[in-house]
Amino acid sequence: MSVTSPDARDTFPGITKIIGIGQSLRGDDAAGPAAVSLWQKAFQSTASRPDIIVELADLPGIGLLNLLAGASKAVLVDAVQSDAEPGTIHTLTEDHLASFELGDRSAHGWGIAETLSLGRALNLAEMPAELTLIGIEAAQLEIGAGLSPEVELALPRVASLIELIVSGAAGSGSHQSGSTLTSPK
Amino acid sequence: MNQDIHIPALARVEGEGALTIRLKDGAIDDILLNIYEPPRFFEGFLHGRHYQDVPDITARICGICPVAYQMSSVQALEAALQVTISPEVRSLRQLLYCAEYIESHALHIYLLQAPDLVGYESALSLAADDPQLVRQALQLKKIGNELLKIIGGRSIHPVNTCVGGFYRWPTIEAIHNLIPDLEWARQASIDTVKWAATLNFPDFEHDYEFVALNRIDDYAIYDGDILSSSGKRISPSDFEKHYLESHVERSNALHSHTADNGTYFVGPLARLNLNYKKLRPMARQAAREIGLKFPLRNPYKGLIARAIELVHVCDLAIELANAYQPVGSSFKEIRLLPGEGVGVSEAPRGLLYHRYVVDEQGFIRFAKITPPTAQNFAQMEADLWALAPSVVNQPQEQASLSFEHLLRSYDPCISCATHFLKLRIHRT
Repeated sequence: MSVTSPDARDTFPGITKIIGIGQSLRGDDAAGPAAVSLWQKAFQSTASRPDIIVELADLPGIGLLNLLAGASKAVLVDAVQSDAEPGTIHTLTEDHLASFELGDRSAHGWGIAETLSLGRALNLAEMPAELTLIGIEAAQLEIGAGLSPEVELALPRVASLIELIVSGAAGSGSHQSGSTLTSPK
Repeated sequence: MNQDIHIPALARVEGEGALTIRLKDGAIDDILLNIYEPPRFFEGFLHGRHYQDVPDITARICGICPVAYQMSSVQALEAALQVTISPEVRSLRQLLYCAEYIESHALHIYLLQAPDLVGYESALSLAADDPQLVRQALQLKKIGNELLKIIGGRSIHPVNTCVGGFYRWPTIEAIHNLIPDLEWARQASIDTVKWAATLNFPDFEHDYEFVALNRIDDYAIYDGDILSSSGKRISPSDFEKHYLESHVERSNALHSHTADNGTYFVGPLARLNLNYKKLRPMARQAAREIGLKFPLRNPYKGLIARAIELVHVCDLAIELANAYQPVGSSFKEIRLLPGEGVGVSEAPRGLLYHRYVVDEQGFIRFAKITPPTAQNFAQMEADLWALAPSVVNQPQEQASLSFEHLLRSYDPCISCATHFLKLRIHRT
């Protein structure tokens, strides 16, 4: 019994997945999917490469493991809340993520850090070797509200950052990391 | 337990809530289940929207049971607009619902409730000790999500359902390709029932009023009349006369009561107790093999009920997938006319009621959504009171876990219910 589906088994090594996480109906929580969509439009030649898969997920929860399956590299883009100014862009590796106390019950009891730990604990072979989380500091998470202007302004920079990471030009060093980062959902 | 318990953020439940237990002179003085996630303004949000936006908007209420929201809403709107769907659409909706049951039940059984029963703090520690079990859970859940994606277009919030049918038929090939996975899932579900029977459930039984959908011909999930273990059977359009909601100050969620102010219980236990005989033979067989006696009056055994339902929905999904043969248009053309309609279906965690009023231009003038968790709140509080005397003498941490475990056994979906949990115990 393995967690790999037949199609995932067939994927060739070298797949990069770009995953935007957040609820589109909840204010700045939509920042992740919005940034990924903007990157797709602004960098069409990269976004249409056959080794690149884009996923937009509202509340993936533990389903994040399925979304990550088969990728050798993954970029997660999500709204976060820390003490930073709204629109601040945080770049974190999985190691950083594990060291944060995520006060996050998103994902129906499953936060991103917890879900990734579960994947590693199970030694899931399909987990990407390289994972970067781009966090966009949220100002508000009101149901029915749109993006805040500060977050909107940050999106082109996030799109450029995604492009840098995907094209391999950027390491996943810390752009800026808040010390009390929590995912907002 | 010698001081108040305050659980500010209940873990392994869906959404956000708190529980406070107040002690006075060594006895329980008050129990407050509080839901502080911002109220869901979906009902207000829908006002003035086009009827065809409703299934996609309401699907966003919950990441675990979006299909339930779509199924209750489209049925309500089809009633309002006097649309009759084709048998093929009905079958595909049933198959979509099976997908949601598989992913939701697998999540709750193994990752949310099982750690309590096998003495682990979380599924993470369970995964470290029994990775095979957790891998099986994830595989089950994944198969549910795959099926959901093939029919609904996306694995988290499906988008293909519309008032009148589906925007497009999934390909026969895509559906048939999943049959081997569903056959694996059915066997894994039978194994899950056997494993569930080996768990030690707390000794806690009550004479609940169970309420669930009921059909003469099958195990009701997609639609049906509303049946109570009191013997009362009503049509969905009479739901609001018999099951009333009231606002409770400490909570963002509404609490439901029967018309004579009693509590009632919706969810897998209610469905199984009321509809056991309608289960598919393979699911009945699985229940017989573990010697299950009905009615089940122990809320913790909701886990067993979910496991048996898993067998049922996997078996049903295989039949529906094999028979899948789309004919003609995937949706009915709709003629606008003002009207009002209700729709009720069984979300994995219980009965979900929707009512809408549509105007002559097709805009929503009124929306009412009564989610299963809101209906169970009053019963959950009553159960916490019933559990309290046996817990009050436990060590603080143990007491806190006992209360949480009871709540988790209900599979509460607080995000859905906030239109409304964390634990505080205060001592004075």
